[in-house]
Order: sequence, then C-alpha cells, then structure tokens
Amino acid sequence: MTDVQDRPAVGAPAGQRSVAATLFRFQSVFGLIAVFVAAIIFSPRKNGEILFISADNLANVVRAVSEIGIIAVGMTFVILIGGIDLSVGAVLGLAAVGSAVLMVENDWGFLPSVVLVLAIGLVFGALQGIATAMIGIQSFIVTLAGLQIARGLARIWSGGQGVAIAYGNGPNEAPASFALLGERTFGGLVPIPVIIFAVVAAAAVVFLRVSAFARHLYAVGGNEKAARLSGVPVVRVKVAVFAICGLLASLAGIVHAVQLNQGSPNDGIGYELDAIAAVVIGGTSLAGGRGSVAGTVAGALLLGVLNNILALNNIDSNIQLLIKGLVIVAAAALQRLRPTS
Amino acid sequence: MRSVRIPLAAAAVAALVLAGCGTTSERTAGSSPGASKSCKGADGKYTIGMSQANVAEPYRQRMDDDIKNAAKDVPQFDVKFADAAQDNAKQVADVENYITQQIDLLIISPNEAKPLTAVVKKAYDKGIPVIVLDRKVEGDAYTGFIGGDNVQIGREAGKYIAEKLLPQGGNVVELKGLAGATPQAERHEGFVEGIKGNPKVKVIASASGDWLREKGQSQMDALLKANPKIDVVFSHNDPMAEGAYLAAKAVGREKQMKFTGIDALPIPSGGIKAVEQGRLSATFTYPTNGKEAIAAAKKLLIDCGTIPKTQTLPTRLIDPSNAAKIYAEENPNG
Repeated sequence: MTDVQDRPAVGAPAGQRSVAATLFRFQSVFGLIAVFVAAIIFSPRKNGEILFISADNLANVVRAVSEIGIIAVGMTFVILIGGIDLSVGAVLGLAAVGSAVLMVENDWGFLPSVVLVLAIGLVFGALQGIATAMIGIQSFIVTLAGLQIARGLARIWSGGQGVAIAYGNGPNEAPASFALLGERTFGGLVPIPVIIFAVVAAAAVVFLRVSAFARHLYAVGGNEKAARLSGVPVVRVKVAVFAICGLLASLAGIVHAVQLNQGSPNDGIGYELDAIAAVVIGGTSLAGGRGSVAGTVAGALLLGVLNNILALNNIDSNIQLLIKGLVIVAAAALQRLRPTS
Repeated sequence: MRSVRIPLAAAAVAALVLAGCGTTSERTAGSSPGASKSCKGADGKYTIGMSQANVAEPYRQRMDDDIKNAAKDVPQFDVKFADAAQDNAKQVADVENYITQQIDLLIISPNEAKPLTAVVKKAYDKGIPVIVLDRKVEGDAYTGFIGGDNVQIGREAGKYIAEKLLPQGGNVVELKGLAGATPQAERHEGFVEGIKGNPKVKVIASASGDWLREKGQSQMDALLKANPKIDVVFSHNDPMAEGAYLAAKAVGREKQMKFTGIDALPIPSGGIKAVEQGRLSATFTYPTNGKEAIAAAKKLLIDCGTIPKTQTLPTRLIDPSNAAKIYAEENPNG
C-alpha cells in the first residue's frame, strides 16, 4: 500500500534508515536543543544568575507556548492530510468569548460551559471538513471563510466588546472552579496550560501511533486517490481531522480566556500563522503525508525559546520578525534537502 | 526507532517543564510595593522597560519616540522597548520578560485593561514602580496613571460640531474606531453628550473604520452612496478622517462637507498637518504622555519622590488658526 512508504514519520524498521535520515527527521528537536543552548549562552546575566534558565523564566516560556502549541497539534493533523486550517485563531477568539459570556453573563456552570464551547469548536471544524471533503472546496478557501465566520460570530456573541471575567459565586461571576484552571501554576511551578498542552500532545502522539485512523490519515495525505482506491474512508478521515483541529482551537480559546481573565472577539488574530510556523519548523510537509506531532511540539517550543531570548536581549521587535522569518525559511529549506526514503 | 519516539516527544516537553522546576529564585519584594525602593539617586543607572501595545499605529509609535527623546536628556536612563502587536498574550509575556530582566521601572501602555492587570500587579508587587500610559489597568496595583480623557475629547468634538460647524443643524456621520476598544466607546459616549446642545444636529449613520485610513475610506465610499446629504464627518481618529476625505474627493463631494478627527499627532502624516493643509476642519489633541512618563520616572528614580496616582492631560482644539503654530511647538527641531 502506498501509505507505507509515504509515512516514514510513523516509523519503518530502523535498519532501513540512514543516520542522515534520522537527523533530518528530528531536525526540530535538534534545532530546539541548539536554540536552547544558544539561549543559555546569549542570556543576559544578573548577579551571576543566567536569567534565561531561571525557573520563573522557563515557566513563562512554556506557558506562552501552550496556546499556540495546542492549536499546532490540531494543525499538524490537518497538514498531514495535505490541508490547511486558517480559522483556528478566530475559533480561539470565538471560544474565549463563548466561555466568558456563558459563565459570566448567562451564569452557566463550569462544566456545561466548557463542554458547549468545545462542542462548538468540534462542530465548526467538522462543518469545514464536510465542505472540504464532500463539496470539494480547497481547505484554504473553506477555512478562510471559516475565519471570517468565526470572527463574526465572536463579535455578535460578545456584543463587539471584550467580556471581562470575574470570579465568585454571585451573578455575573464565573465559578471558582474555572479560576482553578487559570491558576498560573500547578504545585507552585508548572503553569496549568502547560499541563493541558503536554496532555494534548502526548495523546496525539499515542493516537497517531496506535490507531488505525492514523494509518488512514497518512494514506490520505500521501496520495488521496490511491487511498480512496484502497478503501480508505477519505471523507470520514477529512471531517474527523478538521473536527479535531476545531476542538483543539476551542480548547486553546478556553485556556486563553482564563489566562487573560477576558474573552475578546479580537483574541487570537494571527495565531493560525504561528501554529503553521510551528508545524513547518517541526518538519511536517505542507504537501501532506509526512510529519509528526513530536516535531510540532519541538517546533512550538523552539519558537517560544527564540521569542523569549530575543525579548530578554531587547532585540528590536522588527528585527525579531526578520529572525523568526529566517528560521522558518531555514526549516523549510532543510526539509527540501531531506532524503526521501 | 519506534520505541524512541514517545520518550523523545515527552522529553521535548518535559525538558523545559522540569528545568522550570529546578531552581527557584523568586525575588521577594523588600519594602512596601511600588515605593521608590529602587531609587538610587542621581548616581544610579536605571533600566526602564517600555511595553507598547502596538507600534503599527502612528500614535503609539510617536509615544515610543517621545519617550526615547525625553530619555535622551537623562543620562542615567536606558530605555528598552517591546511591541505587543495588539496581542494581549504577547504583552503579558513582554512584561514577564521585563520582570525576569529585573528592570528598575516599567512603563506600559496596555492593549486592554483586564488581561494586563494581573501581570502589572505582579511587577508592582515585586517592587518595580509602574507607570501606566493612555489605557488603564484595573485595581490600584500601579504607581501612577497618565492619560488623556477620551470622554472629554469626544465631548469637545461634539460641542465643536454642534456650535461651530453646524449652528443651523445638519447631518453628521460618525466613523468609529475598532469595535471593542475602550477609546472607541468613550469617544462615542462623549460625542453623543457633546452634540446634545443642538437638537438640529442629526447623526444619520455610523460605521466602524477600525482606526485605519483605508478602512475609513472604504466605509466612507458606502456612506456617501447611501447618504446624499452629509454635512460633517466625525471620525474617532485622524487617519480615518483622512480616508473619508479621500473617498469624498473621489466623487467630488469633499467641498460639501467638513471633516474632524482626533489625536492631532505632530508628525508630517498627522492630523495637525491635515488641518493646516485644509483637509480637516479640526482635530483634538490626545497627548501621548511620553515626555510626562519620563518626567515621572525621573521623579521616582532620581529624585526619590512620589508621583500623583492619576494625571489627566487636557485636550486642545486644533483648527486652522493655531495648527501651524502648535506643529512648530511640538517639533522644535524642525
């Protein structure tokens, strides 16, 4: 079957791989290590302390990465089938607004609010999947429209304003259980969003390795026609993948709202591009069929470390953009050099 | 190979998380929070972190420039700048990075109040004096706020339109800023109050131009088609007013109506020049407070003094009678 050769990231027998291939496959992990080491070297120091590796700072780095990371995991799925999802930032905004409005203005409880918001993301994603798979519109176009629709819905739902979240038991207050999610740290050190991101990433890695669905997914991404001919339920795979991506964007939106104590219809503008950048740096091919969630996680962390060390050194924000752009190009260029097994 | 991947993936996440659990170096705030404990007098060297919401807007770029220029006169100050690009989450990270760098004073112009409140309080609680510019944060965990009064500016603009431009009454269209932005709501609120004095002034339409010149232009294209008689365009900022002017000019109607803006930036592409050159009838200054922020920082760090909790800077009407003079005053070096 075609998918076997088209999905090296899921793993072929080790003996068939050259050292070079392995290096390329984990380029983002090596890249992350390199950037991490460079960050330590170039870190500003104060009173003998290397600021970059202080506990506070590392916690800041991983927390700042979490939202984009959660979205990027979903984006990896979509890109693996050769699609793209431009709506994730807007869905994040919609979910942030939804969480705030339901709990603060409609006095809903924690669980029902979160479940409804997640369901909205799931259905939104699934609808985009249906439009792509069944009507046959390119996912770029479908999700471009989805971006506008989600942003419009967020503006309507919020009345065009940021909805502030206060905590307590009274009317117009979100339940304290929601605040727990927003606690910046678990056990005093690890920010809660980081835990959510880690769980999502781990679940996705396992899912891609053990499920039959994953084989179908790589098959669709590798060669859709061949996959269809060999009996892969292409439509179902596509709808499921976009649904997962919408669900995760929605989850990121909930995290976003708690982190910032507000749901604003303007939240998440441009996040789709950061997520795509993380996926690309992670070595997933935009043509589909090749790539891994582990790479994406490393890619997201790499961007986070890069952001942090540039900021700690007070590099001009315009120069920061240039550097990040060059890193993305470099990652993509390395992919071109990668030997196809 | 198969067996390696999960541990690697996990390791990638865990490495940073675990590293985060290693050493703890929480600085405890020494004396009372926000007091000028960082004041080392005139002999000290100070690093100031300026967190800007977004430099894509000329107003905010000018704020940064004003801070930079004012700080040039204080050799003890080294000012760093960060741009949050309109993203609350990015601005939270920017401030956290400043805290990590152990800056001596924070100046922040928040993108939005609520999301920035917690991190500003964190800085303040660590003993870093915080000067908040233009947009407020909630609570009182900051050292001083310096800003203009958007409601007041809207009111003055409304009065000017009702009394000076349309004493006999007429049709006004309102071009609003970005929906959801506080200044947009406040300028609108003030404007509605300001025109109340003259019941013959009617707001016949409004549209949102998101603070942007090109959006102001395209919204005005539509408003012109829908409304055959427009006497005044009240825009929430100068760039949108300029856009509206261009739209009217494109259909040859620019002489039938008057345009007013807000912000009055003293830059070549700003509102003061537009008034001077006759495209706008008036604009209202919305001070950037950059100079005032550095003066406040000087008071706190070098003079070991205190600053008022709130400092509201008044607006000024810019019309053809004073535009050239004020432009020259604001740009003493030409």
